[in-house]
This record gives sequence, C-alpha cells and structure tokens, in this order.
Amino acid sequence: MSVSPRRLRVGAIALAALAIASSTACSAGGSGGSGDGGSAKTLTVNTSFVLKTLDPGRIYEATGLTAVHSLYDTLLTFEGSDVSKPVPALAESYEASPDAKTFTFKLREGVKFSDGTALTADDVVFSLNRLKNVKASPAVMVSGLTFAKTDERTVVVTSATADPNIPVVLAMPSTGVVNSKVAKEHGATDAADAAKNDTAQQYLDTNSVGSGPYVLKSYDPSAQVVLEANPNYWGDKPEFSRVVLRNMDVQTQKLTMQRAGGSEIALDISGKLLEGLPGSLKTSAMQDTVYFLFLNADPAVSPVTSNAKFNQALRAAIDYEGIAGLYGKGAAPGAGLVAPAYPGALPAEEQSKRDVAKAKALLTEAGLTNPTVKFNYPAITYKGVDLGTVATKVQGDAAEAGIKLELTPQPLTTFLDEMRTGKMALGFTPQSLNYPVADSLINNMSPGQATALRSGWTVERADPAVVTAGKKVTETLDLAARAAAMQQWQRAMNAASPYVVLASNSSTVVASGDLTGTDYTAAGWQVDLAAVGRG
Amino acid sequence: MTTTVDDAEPGAVTTTVSRPRPHRALLFFLLKRVAITAGLLLGVTIVTFGLVTVVPGDPVTANLSDQALNDPATVAAFREKWGLDQPLYVQYLQYLGNLFQGDLGISQQTGRTVADDLLQYVPATMELAIPTMVLALLIGTGIGMLAAVRNGRVTDQLIRVGALLGLSTPPFWLSLVVLYVFFYQLGLAPSGGRLSTDFSPPPTVTGMYTVDAALAGQWDVAWDAAQHLVLPVLVLTSLTVAMLVRFVRSSMLEVLQQDYIRAAYAKGLPARVVFRRHLLRAGLVPVITVSGLAFASLLSGTVLVENIFGWPGLGQYAYRSATALDLPAILGVSLFVALVYTLVNLTVDLLYGLIDPRIRLS
Repeated sequence: MSVSPRRLRVGAIALAALAIASSTACSAGGSGGSGDGGSAKTLTVNTSFVLKTLDPGRIYEATGLTAVHSLYDTLLTFEGSDVSKPVPALAESYEASPDAKTFTFKLREGVKFSDGTALTADDVVFSLNRLKNVKASPAVMVSGLTFAKTDERTVVVTSATADPNIPVVLAMPSTGVVNSKVAKEHGATDAADAAKNDTAQQYLDTNSVGSGPYVLKSYDPSAQVVLEANPNYWGDKPEFSRVVLRNMDVQTQKLTMQRAGGSEIALDISGKLLEGLPGSLKTSAMQDTVYFLFLNADPAVSPVTSNAKFNQALRAAIDYEGIAGLYGKGAAPGAGLVAPAYPGALPAEEQSKRDVAKAKALLTEAGLTNPTVKFNYPAITYKGVDLGTVATKVQGDAAEAGIKLELTPQPLTTFLDEMRTGKMALGFTPQSLNYPVADSLINNMSPGQATALRSGWTVERADPAVVTAGKKVTETLDLAARAAAMQQWQRAMNAASPYVVLASNSSTVVASGDLTGTDYTAAGWQVDLAAVGRG
Repeated sequence: MTTTVDDAEPGAVTTTVSRPRPHRALLFFLLKRVAITAGLLLGVTIVTFGLVTVVPGDPVTANLSDQALNDPATVAAFREKWGLDQPLYVQYLQYLGNLFQGDLGISQQTGRTVADDLLQYVPATMELAIPTMVLALLIGTGIGMLAAVRNGRVTDQLIRVGALLGLSTPPFWLSLVVLYVFFYQLGLAPSGGRLSTDFSPPPTVTGMYTVDAALAGQWDVAWDAAQHLVLPVLVLTSLTVAMLVRFVRSSMLEVLQQDYIRAAYAKGLPARVVFRRHLLRAGLVPVITVSGLAFASLLSGTVLVENIFGWPGLGQYAYRSATALDLPAILGVSLFVALVYTLVNLTVDLLYGLIDPRIRLS
C-alpha cells in the first residue's frame, strides 16, 4: 500500500527543507570566525594535554611542567635548549662542597612574589620540604636531601650521599618556590605528614603563588590554561602578556599550524607528521626519548630470553635503520640507553647495526631452533608513533633470523602492572627522563635495581663488568668525567644487559615564523614560554 | 471516569481505560520510578566497584611516575591517601556513606571533587547535545517522513542510502573530514575548543558559554562560542539524523499501512487531519524512544568527537578517568550516566501518554 496524498508530501518536504536550511544557517554562522591564532599579545600553545595539576609539589606531567616553569621560579634553571649547565635563577650563585654533599645557594635580592610580598629563604625551605614530604611523583628527586637556611638569603641543601647533580634537580619546575604564607593559608604544609595532611592542591591548581614571569589566569585540565604576565616579575618582562595553552588533538595541531596566522606553537607534531609542513614554520627538535626491548633474565620466567646467546641473537636480528624510518623525521637508530639530548649519550657512529647471519649463528650456539617468545607492549601511540607498528616490524625482523615473537598488545595500565610483576618474558616500552640527568638510569636499570628486577636481572645474574661500570659513574664527581663514565656503562650494558635499544625519537616545537626563542628543551618544560619573542 | 479516544472517527482504535484517580496513579508511578532509580544507582556503584577491581591494572601504576613507583614510601603514601590500603568492602562502604551525604569523592586525576568536575564538564556536553538534538529531530523527522511517503521511489532510495552512509561513518573520521574542509580548506569555522584564545570564558551561570555570555551581555564572546559549536554539532547531528531517519521512516511506513489510516482517508478526512491526528501521533511514539536514547547517548559522552575538537566534555573526562583507573571519577560518571538514562526513560514514558492517549501510565 502507498498512501501519499499530495499535501502530506508537501508538508514533509517543507519540514525537511526547513530543517536543512536551519542547519545550513547555523553552519554559516561559523564563517569568518577562525579566531585561531590569537591577538598581537597572545601566544597560543597547542598541545595534547598531559595535565593533572599545577601544584609544583605534585607536578610531573608535560603540560603542567611547561606551565609551572613559567609560574614559579626555581633556584637554578636552564637557558634555551642547553641542559648541560644550570644557570642562576632565584639563586644568584651557589657553591658545592668538594665531596658533592653540601650545596650553598645565595638568593637574589629584591625578588617578590606576584602578590608583591618579598621572597625569602623560608619560602625556599618550605617549598623544598613540602615537595619532599608530600610524596607525590617528583618527591623521589629530593628524597635523600635536607634543606635549611643559614640566613635570610642563604639556603643549604645537604645530601646523604655524594650527588653532583643536585643543581640540576633544583632547576626542575617541581622545586618551584611558593609563597609559603599564602600556601599555608590554603592547606599547604611541609611537615613530615604532608602526604596525608597537605590539602593545597585544589587551590594551587587554580591560583599561582609564585614569583615567575607569569601568573595563572584560568585552569581547565581538559581545555585550556591561561597565563598572564606577572606585573611584579623581577626579571625581563616576557614579550607576550598572555599565553594560552590549548588542548588539541595532534592531527588538529598540524592543520592549525598550517593555517597559523602568527604567534602560535604546537608541541606534539613529530615523526611522520612533520612532513608537509609549510617552510614558513620553524621546527626545533631534540632526541630525548629512547624505545627499548627488555628480555627477562630469570630462567624460571623464560629459559629462552634468559639465554645470553638468544639475547645477542635478537640484538643482531633487528633492522635498526628500518625501525628509525618508522618513526619518521628526527629519529635515529638506537645506540645506548641515554637519549642523544642528554649528556653522556653514545655518539651516532655507535648506533646498533643489523647482522642476520650473526643472529642465526648465535641462535645455533644457544642451542635454540625456532624459539617462540611472547612479546608484550602497550597498545598506545607515543609521540606520534604507534608502538604496534614498531612491534610488528620487530616481529618481522626476528622471524628472518628464525625467532618467532607472539605479539601481545595490552592497555597501558595492564602492561605496566604486568611489567612490574617481573613475569614478562619480552617487553617493549618508550622511556624519557624525569629530569635531564641520565644517572637515574644507573639507579633504576643497573643489575639489582628496581627497574632491572622487573626483568629478573639480579646482581648474581649480571656480568660483573656492568656492575663495575655503574659504580664508576656514581663515584665520579666531575660532571664531564661522569658523562664519559656513562658512555662506558652503556657500552657494557649493550654487551651484556637485558635491554635492546631500538631507536631514539625527537620531541619538537613547531612555531609560526614570526616567533623567536622557541627552542625545544629536554629540561622538562619543552619550551620556555617567557623566552618566546617576536622578531 | 471513562474516556474514549477519538470516538468521532470510525476506523480509529477505540480503547477504554478505567482511570479512577489519574493524579494518584501518576504519583504512584513516579514513586515507583524513584525507588527503581535508587536501586539502579546502588547497583551501578556495586557493579562499577566490582568491575574496576577485576580489570587488570593498579591505580597506583596509572597515577605515579615510573621512578616514584620504585619508591615504596611514595607508593604507600598514595595508597593511604586514597584508601587503597583498605579492604575493598571498607572502601565501598566508605564511598556509600559519603554518597548518602552527597559527597562523590575526589578525583585522583584532577584533585578536585568529582561533583565539581561534573559541574564543569556536563554543561560543556549539554551545549553540544541540545542543539544537536534539536537539529537532528527537525532534520531526521522531516527526511524520515519524506522517505516514508515516497516509499520505494528514487527519493526514498537516496535517503536510505544516505542514512546508511551516515550510520556507517566513523565519528572520528567524519570529524577529521569536516575539520579539514571547513577549517583548513575553507576557513569557515574554528578548529576546536570552546572559545578562541582571545576570549576568556564568561561568568559561570549555566556553564554553557553561549548562554552565559549572552546573559552577561558579552555578545562577542557568545558569537565566538557559537562558532565553535558549529563543527562538532554538524558531525553529531549528521550521525544522529542518520539514525533517526531510519526509525521515522520505518515507523511511519508501519502506521501508513494500518487499516484505520486507510479508513480515515476512505471516509474523506482531509490529509492534514489524518497527518496530525493519527499518523504523527502513532508514528512518533517509537521515535521518541529512539530520540531519548540518542540524547542520553550524547550526554553520556561522545569521546572521539570531543577529542578531535578539543571539547572538554563528559566524554573526555570519562575516558581520562577510565584510563587512569580513577575510581571516584569513574563512579561519578557512571552514576550520572545512569541517572540520565533513567530520567530520559521517565520522560519518554510520560511523553508516550501525552502523544498517544491509548498508552496510559498504568
């Protein structure tokens, strides 16, 4: 049956037409209003938010570090992209004792918080003690340190063990100095029980109480963070009076930068996404992330991966150049565990190379025929790289040498949990440093250390040469000599550790052509917002 | 009291329902629904608590840095702070006790109360969902009816193919295409977010920027916020329309084939009367159900679309909470979504009675 009286039809058509017309009118309403790009005094920073808090005592995520670096001053800092040498900030100078256990900082005079009150040594000691006692993620950097003032302008930092890297730690945004009076009024405490009793996070997420070049105007952890120039800032005034950090999908960042009218930055365009960008944009990149495999050294977990010959065979089977190609522009084949951005990295000529024939021979020596291993990795895209794609490439390379890898992608939290149990035979993960000192790798990845134990790598199962090389690093107090010792440690690790470094990849800052001072820094804050100018 | 429906017109289904006290019936119906809702929400807390604990993954791992995880003191402090060192039933009872006092807990991710988070993210999603639903109902109903009356003809075929394409299109892909065309190629709309970087959000009243800016008389902000709505609303509307068109079409076709419609025309009733009294009422009843569910679905979050357009709505919040195993936030979102679905179902049931008197609350 088909009942379709004319008037009924006309009515239906009219309703549909009206609806479409109203929709079109709404769409047209968007015309002419890109609105992106910002005004002359606004700097727009597009990034995929990794942001939980702006509380310096709790901060360790990328977006928060970038903002907090501009909100709070630290005793020392880094200039531009050079992370090898801390420079004065709140401290106009410092002295280190010969045993590298005591560091004395002289505070700059005349520094005021954004509310106009003077910054004192008490504020510094309070902030550092609070960081330590709140026991959030960044607390581990200062867990072995004690802080005291000797007069209104002098702060002494003492370490239980020799640690020449303390100045670097004291340049990290989490050591930012808060106005202790205001912070206390809103629930902050530096007491030993701060982990339980400090309630200042909610206030510090929406209000900044620092002395940095910017103050916090608004905070929305899903959408945007707005900073405004601090009228009481003691240093050079920043060029931009307003900075908007805007949450944006990576693909959208690229489209936005391609249309950028000016004064706009994107922080997540990396790898293959860098291809096709207009020449008018500036790109600054540093290789600060390494991607590595870890093989379990415990025979009870895997008799295959704990076999040293198998370990070497897998190393020889991998096409490092090909894997770096998957990462795109700014990547390089793996060399050592220290990413090229940091002091102590191995030179490019020591990058790993493929040798399938050697891999096959090593497998024969190991007494293994077509060994099969379960290969776990987190099913994520990290810095523009899908880890599944890389894992598939590793699987193909290994197969050519006669090694069968069973791909086991997992949600990130599941992967991390299983990795921590120490029962994973073969895993794959990216790694970035929390602060620009590679020594933490020794403390975590050397035999018997926490991360190493996740791979069943005890001191007993390790080559003594590796243990010795690690000790040499921690015992060397001169930083240049320490970097050289770090390289020796990596060579020993490449020869006999359960880690296989596949590639290192770059982090980037893509900026519109009118901007200056947009260098990417591996210091943690990605780009120094207050240093960005127009030129 | 006895009522008959449309007894003036032969062919209409005449249903006689005895309703001695309609207001009492309505009150009883509402009380029953409130009780069911309370039970449902309690069930949601139990199931969510259970699911989060059986899912492999530890909130500690999801929230602390790798180095902090190697420090037992830091891990212990985190467990103690969030009550994770307590047995599960203690955690649950504590949560329930707080919930009865209106406290949804604190999100491990944002450090704010879950209630504050919901108050921030729900209006953002509402700002997308309301215009989407209005447009989708207008377009979807119109096109669906057009397809029904043109059943089997070229117009109908085209509409059906269009709806099928709409339903088969992944939302994130459509978002990227729309963004590429309207933002990148044509420059007709902004790329994402709720507001251009030149503007600050208006004073909060409803949490919806367009409304709040208008209330504050900030017309430039309202205009800018409205422009930011265009692309995500366009995508969500396209997807919702595709779904509605199919339902409206099939529902209308079913009604058009009923004997009483045939009889109505046979006795010479004008088409507009048939359309208004019979076709529209009977045909739209199932559409209301679908529209209600579509609206609830929009409110409970459209993660991928929100993600592409950088829209800080409930979908993004739910996704972040789930990936971080942030139990208080997950529970808060689950309760909100359950509440939305319950209220939408209640509204749909009440609308049934209004639109088609043959359906009564009993």
